[in-house]
Amino acid sequence: MELIDKLSILADAAKYDASCASSGAPKRSSRGKAGLGSSDGMGICHSFTPDGRCVSLLKVLLTNFCLFDCQYCVNRRSSNVPRARFTPEEVVRLTLSFYRRNTISGLFLSSGIIRSSDYTMEQMIQVARSLRETHQFRGYIHLKAIPEADPKLLEEAGRYADRLSANIELPTLTSLKTLAPEKELGTIHSAMGHMRQRIDAANDDARQDARHPVRSNNPKRQAPRYAPGGQSTQMIVGADATDDRTILQSAQHLYRDFRLKRVYYSAFSPIPERPAGLPQAAPPLLREHRLYQADFLIRSYGFQAEELLNAPGNLDLEIDPKLAWALAHRNDFPVDLNRAEPAMIARVPGIGLRSVQRLIDLRRLRRIRYQDLVALRCRLDTMRPFVITQDYRPADANLDSTRLRQSLTAPQPAQMALW
Amino acid sequence: MNPDSSSMAPRIAHARDFDEWRERARRLLMAGVPPPNVTWRDGDDSHDDLFSSPPASVKPPSSREPSSTSIRIGREQLALLRNAARYRSGKGEQARWPLLYRVLWRWVQGDAAATHPADADGRVLHQRWHAVKREAHHMHAFLRFHRRDDALGERYVAWFEPAHDVLDLGAEHFADRMGGSPWLIATPEGGVHWNGSTLDYRFPCPAAWTTEARTAAERANADEDHALWRTYFVSTFNPARLNHKVMTQHMPQRFWRHLSEGDLIPSMEAKARHGGQRLAQESSVGQRKGKALPPGRLASHRPPPASDD
Repeated sequence: MELIDKLSILADAAKYDASCASSGAPKRSSRGKAGLGSSDGMGICHSFTPDGRCVSLLKVLLTNFCLFDCQYCVNRRSSNVPRARFTPEEVVRLTLSFYRRNTISGLFLSSGIIRSSDYTMEQMIQVARSLRETHQFRGYIHLKAIPEADPKLLEEAGRYADRLSANIELPTLTSLKTLAPEKELGTIHSAMGHMRQRIDAANDDARQDARHPVRSNNPKRQAPRYAPGGQSTQMIVGADATDDRTILQSAQHLYRDFRLKRVYYSAFSPIPERPAGLPQAAPPLLREHRLYQADFLIRSYGFQAEELLNAPGNLDLEIDPKLAWALAHRNDFPVDLNRAEPAMIARVPGIGLRSVQRLIDLRRLRRIRYQDLVALRCRLDTMRPFVITQDYRPADANLDSTRLRQSLTAPQPAQMALW
Repeated sequence: MNPDSSSMAPRIAHARDFDEWRERARRLLMAGVPPPNVTWRDGDDSHDDLFSSPPASVKPPSSREPSSTSIRIGREQLALLRNAARYRSGKGEQARWPLLYRVLWRWVQGDAAATHPADADGRVLHQRWHAVKREAHHMHAFLRFHRRDDALGERYVAWFEPAHDVLDLGAEHFADRMGGSPWLIATPEGGVHWNGSTLDYRFPCPAAWTTEARTAAERANADEDHALWRTYFVSTFNPARLNHKVMTQHMPQRFWRHLSEGDLIPSMEAKARHGGQRLAQESSVGQRKGKALPPGRLASHRPPPASDD
């Protein structure tokens, strides 16, 4: 099979993994050195496909032959899809060629499980090793960690990769049992635990190095790095009956226990030859979007999953989770922007983290006025009922939440044509 | 020098770049010239410049160095001014130098809010800095190198049309990224060449560079790996999630023309709208002969998976 045919099959097979981030890598440069590639912690999206997703990495499977039979997966062994397998050299060649043309910032390599978990993991490591050692490639590498593989192999993978990820896919034991019979939640968790320990230890060493810099520039004298971009995972949304509350609690647990950098949510995409038991239609992409919003509130705004959803069920599709929380907690509002703690200002719908910092900076200089919120481009329509400034108090502060919600979600009256 | 009398006279000051502006602005500030009395002009004109200088500064500026200590602005403020100056003002927008001078004037007068994003001037500066950062990022992301390999050796060339003055920000990035590989970037304004160890900037861009970059882009199809990249782009797209709005938000249409994959986008969208949207799989992959695998056994210490079919 020609390389171009393999590429079309193995890229198509890899698209179900939502992650394509190239962020979080340490600063590396190839200026004045042999080899190729740089990273500076910021990811780069080199293109966007018409699905609105970023193309940052060459995202392919090493092979889509697979011994597993996960029902939601297009590459399950019982699925009648075309199969292909790259040699490690082919993946290396594609990565370097695309990188030089500035179409990608690195490689995200995953694979179907062939022969054994260890064998598959070794094959992926071989690609990363060749890129890093033979070609001195300093771009981004994200490797899929196979939870069942020998911990020694995960150890080695972390030496070459900027990020490792083991996918949870389904957040509950029962769903995993019915839909992914060969996967075990316990094994996935223990692999994540192992990776967390190695990442933490490497970060401690890196901090030591920063405090007492090694005189030599030889990287071998410095503490070895282990997946400096951290680890991530993915959960499929809408392939089973799991609700958003369970998904978010599970994500929160992963952030806390394994210090994951990111949890990705992937709305189940309809695949060819759908097995019985899987939904016919994809869940609304809006549901996936709301989960990302809630996830961001948990990671960066100090919200708990239980605050965003205090009973079993799904997030409100009509309004975003921050507005939903504010409407359910009217007693905490309106917030006086000249007095409130930063953490409370961050909870006002329509005010983002950057605006919080700017408001705090501004009130050291002078009192905050309503016009400042206009200048800072806060979402005024959403925010108006929830804030107090030096010259402004909301007139609708006493309006009950149901009516306030109606007024916030009412469609804008369309201008009439020629009265 | 007598600032009280000379500061009220109208001045014309020229600046080609930020460092020139900074030097002129420093002298004007020390002469106490308020912003409304200065007419700033882009570019270089040594004749006009005679009028711009206050009488006392006929002496070389270096001889007056000590008094410069009186004008101090923070590192952050300087970075804001320097980067906002890279913004190319559109029609009806304020020109860069008068805006910068007014903010600097206010700052030196003790008005610290002048650089805050909620301030009328500070807001414009921050918006400009944001636009500049975004354009530098666009250059890092959407510039495409084409491989050339002839008598001159292997090298990578690109044509790019930045909306603001970010050529150097891009060049530094690509010097880190490409290491020893020589490359050339040509733009409508300037060009830059990297020989593997140093950057060579030219303003305006030499015609030969422009031709080389244009030719390479036109002959892209001669490069086998160009087709591989286009195949990848089509295959990684999920037609079941078509989302035109998000794509164009992140990747404005003005860049498509020079992307190796840009011309594929309209047909991919059309195909997805007309039936391809049913499945996530790319239709050409679905047309290939499939292969279900027999229940296998993992060659490891794990118990064999339960057969379920």
